[in-house]
Amino acid sequence: MLDAFLLLFEWQNLLFLFVGTALGIVVGAIPGLTASMLIALTLPLTFHMDPVSAVTLLIGEYVGGISGGLITAILLRMPGTPASIVTTFDGYPMAQNGFAERALALGIMASVVGGIISWGFLAGMSPALARFALQFGPWEYFTLVLMALVMLAVLSQGSMIKGLMAAALGMAFALPGIDSSIGQARLTFGSSSLLAGFGLLPVLIGAFAISQILRDAATPQQSGQLDMPKRTLPIYRRDFGYALKLVRGSVIGTWIGLLPGIGANIAALVSYSTEKQLSKEPEKFGTGHEPGVVAAESANNASIGGALIPLITMGIPGSVTEAILIGALTIHNLQPGPLLFQNAPEIAYGIIAAYLVANVLMLMLMWGAVRHIARIVQLPRSGLMAVILVFCVTGSYAVNSSFVDVWVMIGFGVIGLGLEYCRVPLGPFVIGFVLSPIAEEQLRASLMMSDGNLLEIFARPYALLFLALAVVTVVWPYVAARLGARARARAEQAEDAS
Amino acid sequence: MREATRQNIADIILAAFVAAGSVMLFIGAAELPPPRFEPLGSAALPRILGALLICFAVVLSLRAVLRIRAGTLRDEVTSHADPRRGALVFAALVVYVAALDIGHVPFVPATMVFVTTTGLVIGARSWVNLFVFAALGLVLSLAISTVLERFLYISIG
Repeated sequence: MLDAFLLLFEWQNLLFLFVGTALGIVVGAIPGLTASMLIALTLPLTFHMDPVSAVTLLIGEYVGGISGGLITAILLRMPGTPASIVTTFDGYPMAQNGFAERALALGIMASVVGGIISWGFLAGMSPALARFALQFGPWEYFTLVLMALVMLAVLSQGSMIKGLMAAALGMAFALPGIDSSIGQARLTFGSSSLLAGFGLLPVLIGAFAISQILRDAATPQQSGQLDMPKRTLPIYRRDFGYALKLVRGSVIGTWIGLLPGIGANIAALVSYSTEKQLSKEPEKFGTGHEPGVVAAESANNASIGGALIPLITMGIPGSVTEAILIGALTIHNLQPGPLLFQNAPEIAYGIIAAYLVANVLMLMLMWGAVRHIARIVQLPRSGLMAVILVFCVTGSYAVNSSFVDVWVMIGFGVIGLGLEYCRVPLGPFVIGFVLSPIAEEQLRASLMMSDGNLLEIFARPYALLFLALAVVTVVWPYVAARLGARARARAEQAEDAS
Repeated sequence: MREATRQNIADIILAAFVAAGSVMLFIGAAELPPPRFEPLGSAALPRILGALLICFAVVLSLRAVLRIRAGTLRDEVTSHADPRRGALVFAALVVYVAALDIGHVPFVPATMVFVTTTGLVIGARSWVNLFVFAALGLVLSLAISTVLERFLYISIG
């Protein structure tokens, strides 16, 4: 770990981390632009970079992207990212009451503490979890991927069927190309352009950046009078009284971040609801109550550290942003998973170290430059979108110097837009695309090892556990609805009888 | 068209596209050889996914039909979007890429025109904005082409 910190403090790595964090904060603060979009757009640039520098840049963008959302959430009631929606509940009323600087100070402080506490979990749990995951064979990996995909599809917002369909569609789009097991073209329908399959980057940029810009272009720009922070951000000795709330929010955020598909916005919501339930003054929540900001911001930032744990120890992405990070590692011929700690310890520990330093940089940047960041957010959106579109085209082209990738990006932009119109979540779609080759490879290896005997899974307790969890995730919403309906019917009967 | 029909028809169209996609999966899988060295083979996953997608498409369309019959609306948020602007930006993007790929138009002028067009479609249309976006496009394209050609040895357009 010490070596990772030493490597991180080399000037070029530190510079990339600083640039990534600053970019992330600015993009995170702009409503409509997200950390995943920024990471997808900068991914082509990392091709020619040293893997450690690439990873530090992307981790900085991730941390900055989630944290930056609080600025517009507090000042404009427009969350820069979905993760900051809950921050608007109390942050914006505080700003309206003339305490914008105080809300920003609390939000930034809570974000940093959330990040540092979840870093503790990340640094403490990851190596041990990776060692444990080394016991996993193909059956365990296949069922783990299946469980992650199912959880992601079921827990993503909207209809469960649509979530599952999105995951299956994403997996299907990963099928065309050369099947590495037999060295034969599959589902290419005679097209030589499809022999390499659909590239990860064009798919990511298309599904996230292009579809979002096309959607945003059709929406009129929301205007709001930005109440620019005037004084220095105030912090008081009495803020130590928030220690327990900060720890609680951070722990909730970290553990929710561990679960695939739930995300930072739900982490913030759960933390906020918990704080409200435990509070002696629950009626004050939503009116500009300081603990509301503390609970939301500590949890949403802490969820990043939680989400990085399954990513680096097992190669399982919990959200789209982690799926893109997996793509970044794959581009550099690195396979995230338990072997990452053995094969590329500088990357595994580098991610952990970069996450901590990115939080510190985020504190410095946000504390020192929040006024300037708020000003950038007010720049006209039209020019920004045109610039992003040019970056999308050049980024997709730069991968293979081929316009086929650019057309693929446009195609996936249309698919993403169509899916969003039909309320099909994009997260399971992209993660299905990323995990499909791993799932297939592990299933084929499992069946080869067991001579095609599917029942072998019953001899593998962890695989059986993952499979059972996947089944429970699908079945539980129906069972819960049935039980709820039965309980309601019983209560009505009792009421009628009385 | 009734509101319930209009809102739920999107799900039926989606189900039709998904079903068509799964038929493509089955056709593609049929062209693959049977497994020789391993139990599963190359065609298994396309078939499994094809079957799953057809099931999902059937459930989705059945639910949409039931909702249309019952006159149920989806919980749709009122949108103030102007789809024409989105369509114009998309058209500009397709023309821009086609100009670079098929027309072999040089990157700098193509990008300048694209940024100006897109900026004016999304933002306010005025002479000042025209010049601002043209200047932005020129600076951006020169910067990108310099980075791509000098440092990454990639030529575009």
